[in-house]
Amino acid sequence: MTTFNLRRNTPNDLNELLRSAPESEVALTDDHRRSLSARFRAVHLVEQRRLDAWSVEQAGKSSSTFRWSPASARRLVGNAALRRMVREPLRSPCEAVTEEIDDQLLRCASGYARAGSLASWLASLDASERALVCAEATNWVVQLLEIAQGLDREWSVATSDAYYDVARARTSLRARRDLVIPLDQGRVVVRVRSGGPGKSAGPGLRSDLTIDTLAHHEGVAPRRFIGVWPEAGVALSVDGTMADLRAGARDLVRTAVVQERRTHRTAA
Amino acid sequence: MATCTDPSPRSVVEALRGDRRRRPRADLASAAGLRSILEDGIFALVGDTVPTTPFIIRASSLRQASLSTDISQSAHARVRGILINHVLRLLSVGAVITNPFDDAQRAWRLEVGSSELLVYVDRLSSDDLARLATDVTAHAVTLTRTLGPVSPHWMARSAVRATQILCHGSVIVRDVVDLMVGTTVGETANVALFDVTTSPLGQGAERAMRYHALVQTLRTGVVPLRTSAFSTATGEMWSLDVDTELLTRSAYEVLDTLTTMARHP
Repeated sequence: MTTFNLRRNTPNDLNELLRSAPESEVALTDDHRRSLSARFRAVHLVEQRRLDAWSVEQAGKSSSTFRWSPASARRLVGNAALRRMVREPLRSPCEAVTEEIDDQLLRCASGYARAGSLASWLASLDASERALVCAEATNWVVQLLEIAQGLDREWSVATSDAYYDVARARTSLRARRDLVIPLDQGRVVVRVRSGGPGKSAGPGLRSDLTIDTLAHHEGVAPRRFIGVWPEAGVALSVDGTMADLRAGARDLVRTAVVQERRTHRTAA
Repeated sequence: MATCTDPSPRSVVEALRGDRRRRPRADLASAAGLRSILEDGIFALVGDTVPTTPFIIRASSLRQASLSTDISQSAHARVRGILINHVLRLLSVGAVITNPFDDAQRAWRLEVGSSELLVYVDRLSSDDLARLATDVTAHAVTLTRTLGPVSPHWMARSAVRATQILCHGSVIVRDVVDLMVGTTVGETANVALFDVTTSPLGQGAERAMRYHALVQTLRTGVVPLRTSAFSTATGEMWSLDVDTELLTRSAYEVLDTLTTMARHP
């Protein structure tokens, strides 16, 4: 059984979640990975499958085609800007975001950006549109910084999201992660989301925990995975126990099954 | 006897920040009390049955004294309000605005993709479009002249959304603060909330100012320093220092609004 801890998004509550994280770490072995791969392979599929917490929360409902917008760009630009601020603490959030956008434009101008990438999208915008992207990304940086600065411990901005390609199952899994807090032994991962947590936020968080563990080179699970919804002012956490990892894997496989049934129904 | 008064602030931003030495300690204790006032009041109103459709409270619910439609809610006024908010968002990150109407419209279109109000704008005749552009430009000039430079180190963020679910989902409290400066992390209260409106300020604006402070307190658990409203129609700015009394008053205003909504579903 999974226990989710629902708390307010305040420094005291987040620090309490860090302090009370489980003492021991668990790790997934090669047997676990093989077993997961076999389950995914058992679910028939026609094309490459991508699963994340959002698809788990939406019960496998396929999301609309991705397109860049200020809302979809803010996290990517914002996290890169916060990494820049950590390196150079005198930077303000707005300055760091502006520099990050300038770097993206430079990448595009020097021919390193692919078509459809963030850099090429930013380059296609005019100054006022880019200013709106800057405003959105600055909002993201400030809210992430407020969370991080309230923590009693050292923190770092995740260098990338967690990706795991399930062997021979044409399935890739992706987990969002924004802050990583190293503990004496192990780590706690924080993921920030817009809006408020819905009824299925727990399973979504649990699947992020599982994917983050699978993507770890030694399969070591975070001691706790915390989801923060700053707009709603709440934080939800799940512990990195074997029971929770299994439940997260089951959620992902179930989502793949539902997706496959939907595809069949649509084809019929 | 000679009396020395404080000099008037030269810009909106200066008024928002105020004198740093006079800031009170951050109040981390009031949020729980306010939440219980609201939860108790809502329970008394709806009981323990969660309604199928929750009551949704917004700043606009408090701005309007009655349930009648306000003239400021016409499509023209709403578009003007949205565009001025976008001008504020662009100014908050130091953007140089050469043509407020075009710049704000481009930013708005990028943000929403498609909406009823965009269709309304697209269907305007050239005369009406020119009238709207002139109107927006006039309001934007007032805002730009009065706002003053926003330092990037003040953690300015714009269109900050908040949602609070009360009484097991019976009531959803939503809010968007146009501009927020300062951070909730620190010993002293230093978050200032700023609401910009294209209508003249009235009693409703005062209620909305209190509402912004209440929702921000519920969201972060920290009482903001001050809450302000600025009218681009008159160039007038109202600013209130936030204290427990103001927040309690707003909590009861929310309950009054809910009572009215429950009586006239």
